[in-house]
Formats: sequence, C-alpha cells, structure tokens
Amino acid sequence: MNNPVKSLRQTSERYKAMDAKDRRGFLVDTLLNNAIYIILIVFVIFTYTQNHNIISKSSIINIISLTASSLPMALGIGGCIVLTGTDLSAGRTVGLTAAISATLLQSLTTANKFFTNLGEVPLVLVLLLALLVGGLVGLVNGFFVARFQLHPFIVTLATQLIVYGICLLYYMSHDNNGQSISGLSDAYKNAITGSVISKLTGGALVIPNYVIYAVIVLIVMWFIWNKTTFGKNMFAVGSNAEAANVSGVNVFFTTLMVHTLAGITYGYTGFIEAARIGSNTANTGLNYECDAIAACVIGGVSFVGGTGTIGGVVLGVFLLRIIFVGLNFLSVSGNMQYIIKGAIILLACSIDMRKYLTRK
Amino acid sequence: MKKILALILALAMVFCLAACGSSSDSDSDGDASSASSAGSSATEEEGSSSEAEASEAEASEADAETSSDVDYSDLNLGIFWYSFSDTFLSTVRASLDDLLDEAGITYTDYDGNGSQTTQNESITTALTNGCNLLLVNLVESGSEDAAQSIIEEAASYGVNVIFYNRTIEADGNEGALLNAYDNVGFLGTDAPEAGHIQGQMIGEYLVENYDSLDLNGDGVISYAMMKGQEGNAEAIYRTQYGVEDANAVLTEAGYPELEYFDSSNTSLYQVDANGAWSASAATEFMQTNLSQYSEANGNMIELVICNNDDMAAGVVTALQAAGYNNGEGTTTIPVFGVDATDTAKELIANGYMTGTVSQSNTGYAYGLKYIVDQLVSGATPTEAAAALAADSSEYTFTLAEGIDCKVYMAYSSYTGE
Repeated sequence: MNNPVKSLRQTSERYKAMDAKDRRGFLVDTLLNNAIYIILIVFVIFTYTQNHNIISKSSIINIISLTASSLPMALGIGGCIVLTGTDLSAGRTVGLTAAISATLLQSLTTANKFFTNLGEVPLVLVLLLALLVGGLVGLVNGFFVARFQLHPFIVTLATQLIVYGICLLYYMSHDNNGQSISGLSDAYKNAITGSVISKLTGGALVIPNYVIYAVIVLIVMWFIWNKTTFGKNMFAVGSNAEAANVSGVNVFFTTLMVHTLAGITYGYTGFIEAARIGSNTANTGLNYECDAIAACVIGGVSFVGGTGTIGGVVLGVFLLRIIFVGLNFLSVSGNMQYIIKGAIILLACSIDMRKYLTRK
Repeated sequence: MKKILALILALAMVFCLAACGSSSDSDSDGDASSASSAGSSATEEEGSSSEAEASEAEASEADAETSSDVDYSDLNLGIFWYSFSDTFLSTVRASLDDLLDEAGITYTDYDGNGSQTTQNESITTALTNGCNLLLVNLVESGSEDAAQSIIEEAASYGVNVIFYNRTIEADGNEGALLNAYDNVGFLGTDAPEAGHIQGQMIGEYLVENYDSLDLNGDGVISYAMMKGQEGNAEAIYRTQYGVEDANAVLTEAGYPELEYFDSSNTSLYQVDANGAWSASAATEFMQTNLSQYSEANGNMIELVICNNDDMAAGVVTALQAAGYNNGEGTTTIPVFGVDATDTAKELIANGYMTGTVSQSNTGYAYGLKYIVDQLVSGATPTEAAAALAADSSEYTFTLAEGIDCKVYMAYSSYTGE
C-alpha cells in the first residue's frame, strides 16, 4: 500500500511536468476512471437537495443494512467473474438454503411447523448445514466447469434449474403444500436482525447484527483474495489459465474451490435472508444473482478476467443500494430503477473496457 | 485428488436424489386401479345425467353420486399452473391433487414458470399427447389474446378448457371470450371483490380504533400500499379498492380519508419490481420507508395495506425489526393482506398482523373437481357452471352476471378465529 499523500504529491508533480494536451488527456482519463464515484456523489447530492432525510442517521443505517444483506453473495460471485465466468445458480441456492434454515429454526410454538416433531436445533449447526448445502452446489458447479471445460453460464444455468426444482419439492413436502415458512424462533431472529450494537450504545445506533457478520465475511474474503496463495492463483487462472497451468498452478483445484467458496457465500446469504425476510417461499432469492453480478461489474470486476478488488465489489453493491433507497426517497417509480441500473452497468463496463483498449 | 473429488461429487448426487425422493409427489400412483373400479357402474349413468343437467336446481342431489359414479377411464386431464412457486396456488394444487388421486383420475400438473410461452408450449404438447380436458391458470392474467389462442387450439381438438383463478378477459370487456366460445368455462374469484372486502374490513377497523391508530394526532391516518405486480388485474383492483372502500367507510363515520404517507409519490403504491408479490420486496420497501418515517419524526406510517399475505408478512418483519408489532408493550401498526395463508393466520393470532381476506384453496379444488365431473358426464361447460352455482356445499359459488359459464367463488374477511 502506498502512502496516499505521497502518491498524490507524485501525481501532482507528474501533472505539472505535462504539456497542455497531455494535461487535458490526463484530466479526462481521471474523470472517466472515477466516473462511478462521481456518479455516486452527484446522485447522493441531488437526492439530498430533494429530500434531506437521505443523510439522516436512520437512512444511513438502512443503506448499510441493505448493503450488508447483499454483499457476501456479490463477493462470492466476484470470484467466479474473476475466472471469466459467472454464476446463475446463486439466487436459487439462496432460496434453498433459506428454506432449509427456516424450516429447521421455526419456533417450537408455531402453528405451522414444517418438521412437526423437531426440537430446538442449535443455530451454529443450521448455519453449518446451510454453508454445506451452498458449498455443495458450488462444488458441483466448479466440478463441471473445471473437469469438462463447460462455460460456467451453462453449468450454473443447469444447477439453477435443478436447485429450484429441489426447492419446490422441499416446499411441497411434509404436508406444507408450498406454504410460506415463517414463525421463526426468537433466538434465530435475534441473532440475525437483533442489534448488539444498539445494546452497547444504549439504543443510539440500531445496526442489525447481520451487518457485523457481513463485515466479518468481508474481512475473510479480503484476506482470501489478497493474502493467500489460493487468492493469487485465482487471479492467475482468471488472467490466463494456460499460463497459470504452465507456472504450476492447479487450475482444476482453483476453479473448483472458487465456485465452492461462492456456493458457501450463498449458503450464508440464505441463512441470513431467511431471518431477515421472516417469511420464506420458493421465490426467495429470485433474481438475486442479477444484482450481485451487476454490483461486481459496476465495481470493476471485469468479465475479461483476472481483475477486480474486494473494495470494488463493496462499492458496486453500495451504489446499487443507494440507487434503490435514493429513488424511493425521490418517490420515483420502480420502472425507472431498471433504466438507471442498466445505464450504469453499461457505463461502468464501457469505462472498464476502455482501460484495456487504450493499453493495447 | 481427483478420486476424492469424484467421491465427493458422487455423494452430492446422492444427496440430490435423496432430496428428490423424500418429497410427496404422487401424481402417477393409483390411476389405473381406482379408475377401473369406478368404470363399470358408470356407463349406464352417462345418458341420463347429461339430460338431467338442464334441471340444475336439484344438482346437489346428483352431486353426491357424481364423485363415485363418473367414469374417468377416458379422461386425460391437463392442469396448467402459472407458477409452481405461488404460495396460495400451491395449496390449491395440493388439495386438487388429493381429490384427483382419490377419484383415480389420470392427470398431469404443468408449471408455466411465470411465462405464457412456456404454458402455451406445454398445452400444445399435452394436446398432441392425447390430453382431453384442460384446466388452465393463465399466466398473463387478463390477456385475451393468450386465452383466445389456447381456446382455439383446444377447440381444434374438440377439447374443453376451464380457466381458473386468473382472469382471461380485460377489464370492461367481460364475456368477450367466455360468451363467444362453447368449449370454455371459468372458475375464479371476482377480481375486485378481494379489494372491496379488504377495504371494508380496513375501514371498519379504523373507525373502531381511530384515535389509538392516529399516532401523531393529526386527525388523518397515513398509509403505505404494497402492490404485488404491475398490470395484474387482481393487483390493480386490490390496490384501488383497498383504499377507496376504506375511505367510503371512514367518510360515512365522519372521519377524513386516508392519506398516502409519501406526499410526493403520485402512484400511491410501492410495487415489487420482479412482479413476484414477494415478502423480500415488501421488507426492503418498508425498511427504507421506516428509515425516514417514524414516531419520533411525527410522520409514522399508521397503516399498511398489502396485495397479498406474503407481502404483509414481509412488512411485519420490517416493522418488528424497527421495534413495532412485537406484541404487548409495543405499538402495533395495522397490516392487512389477502389470501389467508397459514403464515398470515399465525401472525394474526399472535397480534402481529391485523387482517386478511380469505379465499379457500379447498373450495377451489372442490369447484374444479366438480366441473371436471360434470364435463366427463357429458355436460357442456355452461351446464357444469350452472350446476356448480346451484351446488349447496360448504363453499359459496355464484354465476357471473351475463356470463353463463363463469363461476365466482366467494371471498370472506379474516381477522382471526
């Protein structure tokens, strides 16, 4: 990590040494390369002029909570995109693991119990099960991608359908007949949507617990991406699988593990979502992968492969959530949200590719 | 290494299969055996019952017999659902499957998966495969073109089509299809009725508890509205009448009309962008609303109206996270839904939710099975509809005005047992 002050000084010195034409080019480049940040800031300022509440404490907590809810999944998918792949099975896997978590953690007194004779199940056990099931889906994805050189788009499209089918069967089983699963135990709800920070700060900051967990996931993922051999291998395989193979990287294993890791983050998301939403149907998780992929792309995780940062993914998720909240605060209809999201994705990808085109 | 991975993968497959195996999907079992047992006695009934259909008034008597005396051996029933993931319709599907299994009818459930194209393709395939009676839960609710193409395709095979649950005709154009074809019938709910009942229930509840509900004491109740889907007839009516009828009751009692909580939002609702009527969309909207509107700011949302119970449950989750609707000792914001799912019933029993509108899944299944029986016995769809409307079971069916083959099943309000 460079010292930011020092690098800023270096940049300004370089800028002074340029002639007029270079200076103009430099400014345009800088503006374009940071376009997403600029859009973000302009959007927030605009929303603020229309509705001051967007900068209020409760609104900021809301934005952070929403970001935290979709961040882990985006971090998982980010890995797949670094490998020039994608993952369409994410949303449905969340749906399945949410169903499993919710059914195992219903309160003992609820009238519509899925497993009628099931006693109290430890939270940790269910979390591990959710991670395991998610990881298993990821493992299957990874295996077919790595072993048969299938494009992840195809493999995960297939597993998406399979997982959705299992999910539907699961909801129809045990005489549940597709009813939504709710009536979750208090311990479960408190662990996810309760707020330890609120207790510590005397009710001043009601930040739900899942934000803390998301931060932990974020740190773990940052560590994996930046500080482990596996992380370095992931980027190497993403940049050029053949070169990585020649250099002694186990491409098969790396691909397998990246998808498995992604699957684990879906399992985690399912475990959180079940309690965050409180009422789960087979539709839980629908289209989640679209937002997660969009967030990664906006955050500079390139489909070209081999590039992307954890910080970028966080920014991407944050930007999408700000747009959701901001448009609500501006009372703009949901239809506009699609257009704006689409425009931002297009813009972000174009800017991203521009870097590669100029380099050539 | 590879061997270990192969082993793990094999285990994964076994797990998947095991997961499939444990479910109780019993479409195919028992068709042949029970059909043959019912077969022999039914043939003589055939001729007389089709004539008797004209005098439907006594249909209740005939009904007791139909269940056991109809010959299903030639019947190949195709049931087309708009989506297997719909909570309410899944309960209808389960009830109907039970009735059909019991009667030993050969049938297949098809999942439209939210796509009209998929549904049309399934129908074509089923018809070419010898399917001779269609029950269709149209995907594009209110799309006459979609319905018409299905009706005409079925007519070319000489097959009857009974649409159910989702309307097939556009608002104001009722009868355009149902009166134009002989091979078509409809069993559903009167789309505006759920909205009317919900609005009436909300109005009455507000009048009874007005002062305690007006949290900021400004004399006006501010409300939020969660719409399930754009362009769906049911959603549009529920969104409209849920408020209008409540206002009518309020005005009559001398109270001011409801006011949408966000004065700059001209659409007066928040809609699930995926059109999935989902709890998660409602949770996120409500959580975002609550970050701006609260008791502390004196602008709290004092009432939430939802198009269905999934969304209502999502709203309750967001309210609970913000410290409302947690039972005694906390402020309860009244939340209203539609469908009376088990989840909603339990929320209402616990006092977390206030009311819902019930449509009976078993009633639907009963009505559909009844119509199938009539059709198999040789009745036309119109005759079958008349017989069902005259039937005196525990469910209330009425004929639509001016459309003889359209039967409505009644809604009722639900605020706890």
